[in-house]
Amino acid sequence: MKQCLICSGSINWQPSFHELISWRPLTPPVICQQCQQQFALITDHDLCRGCGRQRESLCPDCQTWQEQLGFVIHNRSLYSYNDAMKEYMHSYKFMGDYRLRQVFQRQFTALVKSISADVVIPIPVTQHTRLTRGFNQVTGLLEDCRLVTDVLLTSQQHKLVPQSHKKRTERLLAPQPFMLQQATKIKGKKVLLVDDVYTTGRTIYHAATLCRQAGCESVSSVALAS
Amino acid sequence: MDLSLLYGRRELVAKADLPEKIPAAVQLLPTIEVGTTRIRCLRCNATTPLKEARLPRGQSYCPQCLNLGRVSTLDQFYHVAEPNQFAPIAEPLTWSGTLSPLQVRVAAEVKDSMLSHEQRLLWAVTGAGKTEMIFPTIEQAIRRGERVCIASPRVDVCLELFPRLRAAFQSVPMVLLHGRQEEPYKYCQLTICTTHQLLRFYHAFDLLIVDEVDSFPYAANEQLLYATTQAKKTTGGLLMMTATPGEVLQRQIKAHRLAVSYLPLRYHGHLLPKIRCVQIDYRWQEKLKQGHSPRQVGVWIRQHLRAQKRFLLFVPHIENLADLRQCLQRELPQCSFTTVYANDEQRLAKVQRMRDHQYDFLVTTTILERGVTFPGIDVCVLGADEKIFSSSALVQIAGRVGRSSQCPDGNVTFFVKENARNVKAAYQQIKYLNRLGRRIQ
Repeated sequence: MKQCLICSGSINWQPSFHELISWRPLTPPVICQQCQQQFALITDHDLCRGCGRQRESLCPDCQTWQEQLGFVIHNRSLYSYNDAMKEYMHSYKFMGDYRLRQVFQRQFTALVKSISADVVIPIPVTQHTRLTRGFNQVTGLLEDCRLVTDVLLTSQQHKLVPQSHKKRTERLLAPQPFMLQQATKIKGKKVLLVDDVYTTGRTIYHAATLCRQAGCESVSSVALAS
Repeated sequence: MDLSLLYGRRELVAKADLPEKIPAAVQLLPTIEVGTTRIRCLRCNATTPLKEARLPRGQSYCPQCLNLGRVSTLDQFYHVAEPNQFAPIAEPLTWSGTLSPLQVRVAAEVKDSMLSHEQRLLWAVTGAGKTEMIFPTIEQAIRRGERVCIASPRVDVCLELFPRLRAAFQSVPMVLLHGRQEEPYKYCQLTICTTHQLLRFYHAFDLLIVDEVDSFPYAANEQLLYATTQAKKTTGGLLMMTATPGEVLQRQIKAHRLAVSYLPLRYHGHLLPKIRCVQIDYRWQEKLKQGHSPRQVGVWIRQHLRAQKRFLLFVPHIENLADLRQCLQRELPQCSFTTVYANDEQRLAKVQRMRDHQYDFLVTTTILERGVTFPGIDVCVLGADEKIFSSSALVQIAGRVGRSSQCPDGNVTFFVKENARNVKAAYQQIKYLNRLGRRIQ
């Protein structure tokens, strides 16, 4: 019996008849039913066409972006950022339990692949994080996706204060943390930005601004949670 | 860098953060041993398949001891060998109580064996006064300038021990360590911690005392057993204490591989209460769900209510609590009682109300098996043959009875549906201890 990666309880799983005759590789779950139920999938259809959260055609936050930058990004998220997701992100990113990428990897990759794009750009981590954490949490969530390119880099070596420790107003004032390498690669392409959590949108909009300056055709984004 | 924080400890440092100059006393130790198919964590000694422990770019980490901070090949350990840098204390023991003649004998035996840093088990029945018996041993070690640690698998035991030790050793600096703690670590001669915290130490203690060795999660946990061996110095002494050694320890005792000191009598000199088994309906769990409590249990409860004797009723699972409460409320509307379980928010308040005689009885799961004392109480276990009750848990439960010298005797009843190994083992363990006890009584 396998153990749940989140609560270490045992997982009761048997492949369904449909799965058996579908002749695809079997994919046993890595977390138990109870833990799975804690995460809230976003299933509504009448969502904001910007951030993809509130039930309005364009929420006040996205209206502000529209006024400030002259464009909004169409973002899609799989889950809402509830307590279970917060806890998950803590164990995955900050405790560094890399196994936890398997929890959403398939589902998230499927979502990314379902969106038509020419290049997929994961939001990068700083040099220091890469050396201490050992992985980029966003690329960890993407399972062999051909379109992934690492054109986006962080210009900072070291994050002085982690984004998650800042208040909303501080986050919105944060300066551009990224730079583009080989900007020609994305010229005239449809770009899909991928991040783990969409909170204020600041990070995604920084990256999107760079991509638009480099002359890409369109920018949209995907996040695991928002 | 405050070097004293590293004495006998291993602290994780990311290789990326290593300073240019490291003080000469600091050793850098590796964190993970990478094999061809598995990795071994050098902190918790657990091995993990490489596939599960993998990080990108050929790095790996240990997923088994994440709670203490991740150990990975991206890190190294800072370590400074234990220097035993303590100011001598003239009169460390400020405890003014006295030990009974029997306790004195056992305490002297333990003290002598710890002088030569042996490994020993102190097997003393519940309510024998184990803590007081180790005071002379601790005093001796502190006088000799040794570093001492008292560890227990349970936080509540540590929390209860700390004030008692502080009162007994007022001039000795001591520190309490457990997972949920805010206070930072400091270097002290006497450390009280949970067994998990021992993983942070490395060849630190001359004397390591582990209390309640048989309790969850320490028993049968390789990681924690390893933690004890590497937290003490290679020449250090190890004293394990328990009222109910598990099978592994008992086998070691029988094979004379582990020295043991017995204390089979309680501090008031009486024997342990004998277990009485009563057979109940084989399908009592289903019937309880339908709203019928076992007849024999009802009879037993009415007898106790009539005699105005208070008692604890143990059940195997949390689900049984609600069913049983409904049954009893219907069948015995005049009595006052409540149910308690591990994650109950009012757990402490309810236990306190039981102490204040506001309830006739408590219905509970195994959480109250240790450390809770109500004077003059009886105990019964519904479904004692369920797997969840280990034989040591059953002995501990039986040990709730007759702890005070006013009422040194009591009634322990196990309601069982069939013969089971755990009940038999518990019965025999009590019988064995009582035989030893009668010899010296």
